[in-house]
Amino acid sequence: MTDTTAPGAAARTASLAARLRNVEPATLLWVALAAVLLVLVAYPLGKLLVVSFETRGTGAFTVDNYLTAYGRARYVEALVHSLELGALAAAIATVLAVPMAWAVSRTDMPGKWVVWIAVLGAFILPPFLAAIGWILLAGPNAGFINQVWRWATGASAPLVNVYTFPGLAAVIALHSFPLVFIFVKSALDLVSSEMEDAANILGAGTWSATRRITLPLVLPAIVGGTIVVFLETIALFGTPAIIGIPARINVVTTQLWQFFEYPVRVEVASAYAMPLLGITVVMIIAQRLLLARKGFVSQTGKGGERRPIRLGPWRWVVFAWCALVGLLAVALPMLVLVQASFAKGWGRGFSFDNLTLSNYEYLLFRHEMAIQSIWNTLLFSSLAATFAAALALLVAYIAGRRLVPFSGALGFLAMAPFVIPGIVMAIGFYAAYAAPPLALYGTSIIIVLAFTARFLPIAYANSTAAIRSVHPEMEEAARILGSGRLRTIARITAPLIRKSLLGGWLLVFIVSARELSSAVFLVGPKTLTMAVLIYDLSEAGNFEVVAALGGLMLVITLALVAVGTRLVGRDFMLRRE
Amino acid sequence: MTNITRRTLLKAGAALGTVGALGGHHASAQEMGPYERQLYEAAKKEGQVTWYSGQLSAEPGEAVGQAFAERYPGLKANVIRSTSQVAFQRLSQDLRARTPQCDILSSTDSGHYSFLKREGLLMKFRPKNADGMIEAARRGDPDDTFQICYFGLYLMGYNTQKVSAADAPKSWTDLLDPKWKDQIAIGHPGYSGAIGIWALMMKQMYGADYLKKLERNKPQIGRSSMDPVTLMNGGERAIGIAIPSATTLLSMSRGNPLKLIYPTDGTVATPAPTAIIANAPHPNAAKLFMEFATGPEYSRVITRFFNESLRPEVPPPVGGRPLNEIKLIMPTMAEAEKGVPEMREVWRDVFGV
Repeated sequence: MTDTTAPGAAARTASLAARLRNVEPATLLWVALAAVLLVLVAYPLGKLLVVSFETRGTGAFTVDNYLTAYGRARYVEALVHSLELGALAAAIATVLAVPMAWAVSRTDMPGKWVVWIAVLGAFILPPFLAAIGWILLAGPNAGFINQVWRWATGASAPLVNVYTFPGLAAVIALHSFPLVFIFVKSALDLVSSEMEDAANILGAGTWSATRRITLPLVLPAIVGGTIVVFLETIALFGTPAIIGIPARINVVTTQLWQFFEYPVRVEVASAYAMPLLGITVVMIIAQRLLLARKGFVSQTGKGGERRPIRLGPWRWVVFAWCALVGLLAVALPMLVLVQASFAKGWGRGFSFDNLTLSNYEYLLFRHEMAIQSIWNTLLFSSLAATFAAALALLVAYIAGRRLVPFSGALGFLAMAPFVIPGIVMAIGFYAAYAAPPLALYGTSIIIVLAFTARFLPIAYANSTAAIRSVHPEMEEAARILGSGRLRTIARITAPLIRKSLLGGWLLVFIVSARELSSAVFLVGPKTLTMAVLIYDLSEAGNFEVVAALGGLMLVITLALVAVGTRLVGRDFMLRRE
Repeated sequence: MTNITRRTLLKAGAALGTVGALGGHHASAQEMGPYERQLYEAAKKEGQVTWYSGQLSAEPGEAVGQAFAERYPGLKANVIRSTSQVAFQRLSQDLRARTPQCDILSSTDSGHYSFLKREGLLMKFRPKNADGMIEAARRGDPDDTFQICYFGLYLMGYNTQKVSAADAPKSWTDLLDPKWKDQIAIGHPGYSGAIGIWALMMKQMYGADYLKKLERNKPQIGRSSMDPVTLMNGGERAIGIAIPSATTLLSMSRGNPLKLIYPTDGTVATPAPTAIIANAPHPNAAKLFMEFATGPEYSRVITRFFNESLRPEVPPPVGGRPLNEIKLIMPTMAEAEKGVPEMREVWRDVFGV
């Protein structure tokens, strides 16, 4: 395509047409996809890097932004806080999730559905809503748990306080433990009972066999899941903004927000974001290396018998643990949020005279922006899901079938956003596309682009798995019968993997609909989303109305999950890849 | 802090009682004068006006938007309610990206306006209705780049189930008493403009150490100045400080066990401007909105939500004390522009967030 500069316009057109006729459509597609991925991923990231070395206004090269970003003790402290918070949240999440994964995968524990509900529920509940739920539960004075505690014991000190460092970490862990659960459970599913049997024969009891044999076998998966929670935590914006300010904890993401105060210091923010990006990249590589270790017999795929371990009376202890996590992660926060959304004053508790519909009435009939934000959310999420699914399918197809050289590069670009924290990506998009000539700031386009890019890895992983499941021979049959490549994809491949695609679509839709961190710098007055409106409303602490808007968001999400479950199957949200 | 402004304010308070048909344009919904009609027709072509508002709380803000749309069919007000610093942050993002979104900015931090005016980012426009406002609001800016459309009073309140009237603090310095440890709630100057003004006043009156001493009592820090009101409603904290009188009175009217305290050392007043941004995407709708915001209908709507009236013919809200009986304190605009950003930094060093 680069050497089409033949002399003579007519000759050139003829030769170009001739060439185009002979070009494998996949090559053209490759070029088109590469261009799209450059716009979505490479350019905003590159821009971020460039801007971090620019002087504001003039654009001259400077390292001052880095000096400003790390020149104050407070800013460096925020980075340290983020790392500590990530480590603590990841540790708590691991403690919560590993027993659950083990119980579901390896034992005869009753009521395994409870775990599935807990895991699904924690995934569905947006982090910032869980945070508000926990403020209502564990506020030191008025939180329901503390009210009950004082009533029951007569104590004056609170039992739990959400506005502390451990409180913040626990709230984060309670909604991110499913990540560890999914990793560890799928690893445990591959461990055969024979190895435990061997340990038992040599005299080890169930516990020591589990401790000495089973868990070490899945250690890479545990560490892998822990790393993902760590990364999720340091990239999180909503929860630290809502709980962290009263708790006096400043973290990287809330500090990045401060650099957007007047005067908007995109340059300093970019410089400040670089370590976050660096840490994420290093951790992801470490996680990949860990999970890629092939030294474990359990992963040879030679089969082997799998029997559930009989726990006897202990099975109720294990069940109690799972139920407790489900209660804390999903049931209690949802319960108080629903209560608050129908309450005149949430602190007044459950009573008939405290019931009202006015919070919903206010949002639906007297709040112009609330309705608009619901439509915006539905529109942006469905567009982003559609673009991400289509893009991911094509890239996964080209990469999976190795149709052109360097198809791996496309796959790499499609996965790259996985290592970019949402708020960092938003700064990159702001730096790259907000200003003229494109002037996309405040438009729907910039948000749809950002959501598409941010969640492309989810759609891509989903499509890759789906493409792998289709043997090329069916496509080859169509090709032999004269069908072109694109026609083959449209008529053979896509219908075969329709369910998986739909699952991926829904997944991207759901995570886009609640996305806060990448939306918060990109929305304009006409493109407000529900997540950002909830964040705005939460400023004034009006939890009843916030809970009602959250309730509307949950209704929408649950409806989609129901559709997904019916069409795709129960585990469409929980597959590891 | 100047005496002149205080005196002007007291006069304003006195004027609140008198009903006067002061000159200007009093258009009613039924009959519009030719000027208003002409503006309306021009605005209708633009269809909407976008209002970044950090002054009124969400509910009265929405009510103002609705009243505007009702009076001018075919026009819609996009009410983007947030804290003042966040509103200003979003405006700065618009300006930085050179993609105008905002028509009208209403902020409680008057310093924003001296900055915007100096940079030539405000549109010069004098609403005709401004002549009919109370005296203190009549001429916010001699050059007519902004107009006073909000009179915020920031004081203290307490939950009557947790604190008795006799025990309640009387002045800002009373809050430093160790007995209020873990009882106080306040907003954040990085979000709320009014909290920045309040912090500046505390520094002017009691020195830079005031915040450090307050920190010993570990106040709970939220974001908006209104946040402590909901914390008191729920019983999470007993005392809310630097809270707006309007939000508190509205909450009291809904049965919450709260009471206002007018500090003996002064209630912080923020006569806060509203202005049209120079490159407003809907300039005519913006002008019409400014006429609306300086007219009587706006005052009628906001007094329903316990905000101070800006028109002599609209009676003040019930429940609060009349302005002329309160000791009011406030910084000048120049002090605010320089001092509020400084106090934000001081605050973050003292409180860590």
